[in-house]
Amino acid sequence: MNRREFGALVVAAAAAAGPFRAFADETCQSPYMPKITGQEEFVYVWTLGVEGMGDEQDKLVTIDLRPDSPMRGQVINSLSVGGRNEAHHGGFSADRRYFWTGGLDTNRIFIFDVHTDPSKPSLHKTIESFVKDSGGVVGPHTFFALPGSMMITGLSNDDDHGGRTALVEYNDAGDYVATYWMPTTSDMQGAVAVGDAVADGYGYDIRALIRKNIMLTSSFTGWSNYMMDFGQMLQDTDAMKRFGNTIVQWDLHTRQPRKVFNVPGAPLEIRFPWGPNANYAFSTTALTSKLWLIYEDDSGEWQAKDVADIGNPADIPLPVDISIAADDQTLWVNSFMDGKTRLFDISDPHNPSQIYEKTIDRQVNMVSQSWDGKRVYFSSSLLANWDKKGDDDVQYLRAYTWDGKELIEDFDIDFYKLGLGRAHIMRFGSSELYTS
Amino acid sequence: MRVLKKLLIFSGVAATLPALWYTLIAGQAAPTRPFADVFTPHEEFQFDPPKPGSYTLNRFKTVPDGHVLDVNGQRHSLAALTKGKINLVSFVYLMCGDENGCPIAMSTLFEIHDASQKLPGLREDVQLITISFDPARDTVEAINSFAYPLQIDANADQKLKWHVLTSADLTDLQPILDGFGQVIDRSNDQEVINHLLRMYLVDREGIVRNVYGLGTIDPRLLITDVETLLLEESRS
Repeated sequence: MNRREFGALVVAAAAAAGPFRAFADETCQSPYMPKITGQEEFVYVWTLGVEGMGDEQDKLVTIDLRPDSPMRGQVINSLSVGGRNEAHHGGFSADRRYFWTGGLDTNRIFIFDVHTDPSKPSLHKTIESFVKDSGGVVGPHTFFALPGSMMITGLSNDDDHGGRTALVEYNDAGDYVATYWMPTTSDMQGAVAVGDAVADGYGYDIRALIRKNIMLTSSFTGWSNYMMDFGQMLQDTDAMKRFGNTIVQWDLHTRQPRKVFNVPGAPLEIRFPWGPNANYAFSTTALTSKLWLIYEDDSGEWQAKDVADIGNPADIPLPVDISIAADDQTLWVNSFMDGKTRLFDISDPHNPSQIYEKTIDRQVNMVSQSWDGKRVYFSSSLLANWDKKGDDDVQYLRAYTWDGKELIEDFDIDFYKLGLGRAHIMRFGSSELYTS
Repeated sequence: MRVLKKLLIFSGVAATLPALWYTLIAGQAAPTRPFADVFTPHEEFQFDPPKPGSYTLNRFKTVPDGHVLDVNGQRHSLAALTKGKINLVSFVYLMCGDENGCPIAMSTLFEIHDASQKLPGLREDVQLITISFDPARDTVEAINSFAYPLQIDANADQKLKWHVLTSADLTDLQPILDGFGQVIDRSNDQEVINHLLRMYLVDREGIVRNVYGLGTIDPRLLITDVETLLLEESRS
């Protein structure tokens, strides 16, 4: 029996059995993961503890988003992890039962169980040995789910605490599997530098396009910078030279680097669209304020080019998180310094244009949207030592509805007023994902 | 071929056996090397598989042991069934109608099974294992009926051996699912078992060497990983 014959049987069986339950998800997650295409029920916020505030610890904060809940728009759970770690990013396992989060300073990885009671996550496991396991990688950043494993990008290393770093893979049980160092000029590992690209070995985000067997990584800066006071760093000429300027194309299956692209100014988040023929990804550069397109050209080769400015680059608005719509037509782009979010029309990915902007607050970092794009959530913290000072250091999760023309505020949670800390990455949860 | 293998072991060259054995397979299958060439590419996989042996397959975890039942109702240790062979392991339930679920795994396995006839000698080293995670409905009789076309296949002895297995009950099954990391959710609809599609490459020592999900269950990738394992053995 060949695949086509078997496929015919499948179609027949599907018709007989009726509609199947469809899993669903927000727009920027690993494509291997079940998705929430309907109403998200909870948002989990990985939150940095602040000295002298509340219990001073990093914590996973759960906010109720259920439309019919009397607690909607309120914090319904807060789970502290016993210290401050420079809480930053996190990602679900491919089965979406566990939420992995990292501490950029202590290198601890906290794995939360979000399936047993999605309204009340519990701490399932803590990995204390990331640096030792990986052979010296520091700063576990992005957690990208693969079948049976978690790929974690590092930001630094324990040798010079600069930006040279690696990808580190753990299995779903939280056991170390492998380390893949980023290519450098002295060890290209078979990769080719495109044009005038210089392989710097830096890391930040990771995303994949499975049907093309493509994986992309971006590049930020090392521990010596991300733990430094932001104002001090801006005055330090040498420190300002220690930022990544590359995006690396990898073979997803073999985990081998193939190309190094020159993307100057610290390219951060990477987002692939969802369309079956969309062979490109977007990224933004923090220091040069550009929107970049990494795309497959007509000859099947992958290329990189900047396609738009974000605000006025001379003002250094510092683009941070981005979120692509499920229909691939628009892209939210946040910028930290001016506290703005901008919406780009990306229907022609080679010629994006800004169609809307709104100031969220004095600082803004992360953005997450529902699958239908009608609900958009923003949070505030970048890094403990990079967040603004004094009255400008506002810390919040703020929810909006998007009617296609305007962001309309739904609810706002002041994380400082509640003694929680600095609100960083947001991820959605739903009990609908689990039936047992 | 098996006789030759025994002779080689007896003559004291067991340490070099994998290399010799792979050379024999490669020699026989020379017109179709790499193995992936025996498959027609599917449009959903828009890339060429990597060169066999050009990369390293990780060691993810040790597979769990547990008790399974074959199509004749014989009880086996799963570890005993997998040990000594390279295994492509899949978990399915026969009533699955999710077009992004078990049918993809099964059609891929049928494709590999059929194509293995073009890779003579491969069945000495590689086998397929399919385990039901629905023991209540996938009884011994049910899996026997399902596997009937395999049993009456006139060319079965030229293709990979395919173990179609079930278990006595959930008590026997759950440790196997947990050990592999195969998640299933029994829905309120008793007819449907929600699950994430997974396949596993398990080496002769019982170590999971790769895990596949939706989008990567490409017969060319699976067989390239198998070929890479054989090359790894030939070099060790």
